[in-house]
Amino acid sequence: MRQPTAFTVLAAVLLLGGCGAGPRDAASTTPPPVPAPAVTTAPTRTGTAFNPTDIAWLQLTAAMTERLLPVLDLVPARTTDPVWRRTATEVATTRRADLDRARRLLADAAAPTTNPHEGHDMPGMVTAQELTALRAASGKPFLRLLAGHLRAHLAQSVRIAEAEQQSGVQPATLALAAAVVRTGTDELARLDHLPG
Amino acid sequence: MDRAVPHVPRRLRLTVAIGALLTLLGTYLVSTTDRADAAPVANAIRVAEFPADCTYSHRLPDDPIVFPGLPGASHMHSFFGSKVTNAKTTLPDLVNSPTTCNPLVDVSSYWVPTLYRDNVAVEPAIATFYYLGEGVRADVVANTQPFPQGLRLVAGNAKATGPNDSIARWSCLHAGQVPPSKDFVNCPSGTMLESYLDFPQCWNGRDLDSPDHKSHLAYPVNQACPSTHPVHVPKLRQVLRYPVTGDPSHFRLASGPGYTMHGDFFNAWPVAEMARRVQDCIRPVIKCGHDGRPI
Repeated sequence: MRQPTAFTVLAAVLLLGGCGAGPRDAASTTPPPVPAPAVTTAPTRTGTAFNPTDIAWLQLTAAMTERLLPVLDLVPARTTDPVWRRTATEVATTRRADLDRARRLLADAAAPTTNPHEGHDMPGMVTAQELTALRAASGKPFLRLLAGHLRAHLAQSVRIAEAEQQSGVQPATLALAAAVVRTGTDELARLDHLPG
Repeated sequence: MDRAVPHVPRRLRLTVAIGALLTLLGTYLVSTTDRADAAPVANAIRVAEFPADCTYSHRLPDDPIVFPGLPGASHMHSFFGSKVTNAKTTLPDLVNSPTTCNPLVDVSSYWVPTLYRDNVAVEPAIATFYYLGEGVRADVVANTQPFPQGLRLVAGNAKATGPNDSIARWSCLHAGQVPPSKDFVNCPSGTMLESYLDFPQCWNGRDLDSPDHKSHLAYPVNQACPSTHPVHVPKLRQVLRYPVTGDPSHFRLASGPGYTMHGDFFNAWPVAEMARRVQDCIRPVIKCGHDGRPI
């Protein structure tokens, strides 16, 4: 007599106490079927030979370049130095071409062109705070800041392009990485001889 | 027997009733957990939880999920759990790797942007990764599936451009009077700055990763998993306690302000160990210790 009564009380207590998983557990001792996961290490894509490193490098290259171009656009209004103005134009032209190639390759890979770290401070990227400081400066102080940011950007670009050359697989992406290493190394050497 | 009950003093009757309830509860839980050694379950704490405490292991500007194969591509990360993680880490590298976790069977890798105080790196004194069954209906908890081995996951709004689009949560340990915030808070001395971050708990049942490293999982909607992500997995809650207090203007993350806090998880738990904990702790709603046994 007592047991069913007490069980009813217990069930009520369990339910009232919010432990609603209680009575259902008896049925769940047999685990529900687990859906068989397709063990893919990369997102499914059609007819491409991009590996995750290729995709990540293209995304990062696009994001870094998008952050650099507004900095280079500041140059004509903030210095009259012809060597600096020409250098900024040439670096911007090269990087814009790289950006176009990176975006086309990302489209080929059916990968998002979004920057997974948008809004984050990343090596080689000018932060929002630094961009504000650049906008407020002109003349020599501006050139000093600009040289520092440009050097950081180029050094990081070369560094990760070399990593892509080691771990990437897609031929056109590897070719772009080789171009970034070549032009970036040249531009870094040029920076050392610019008036500061 | 029943007729004798009215003659028993009220307090004793209550004790007997509670005793009977506990006995029944024990019987009931033994029957549902189907374990010969489930006796301690009689006193189980009804919270669906098992933890891994994984102290700081190492720092690298690497991210094997977001920047696989690209060492140096990331801002500085602090790694917990597996001691081997770098930019090129894949699942076989983690399996059987040395780990900082208690339990030692957890060879998963967890990482976050490094915290700096006046540009000096600070690592958490306590780093706990809770696996929980909460935030969804009880029947959903009862159908929780283990994380698939090799699952990669990023939590926290990686695109945080301001506090409003962030799920970061900063607070003070032992100082509940300080309101939590999405950015750093000013903790009184003698306390610790703490960061909470909840990972999404609904999986699409198919992918171990996705192009944005997020969309193969989703957060619950109306206490259940959405039809696009129907598989309920444990809710991973990362809790980090940093031994710093005071003026938050001294603090920054490697990724920027406090609201850029994010966490990465690369699951490498042995399949059986994860499955046992989900079976014994999460589904029956029982608080377990590091060994995955009821506390």
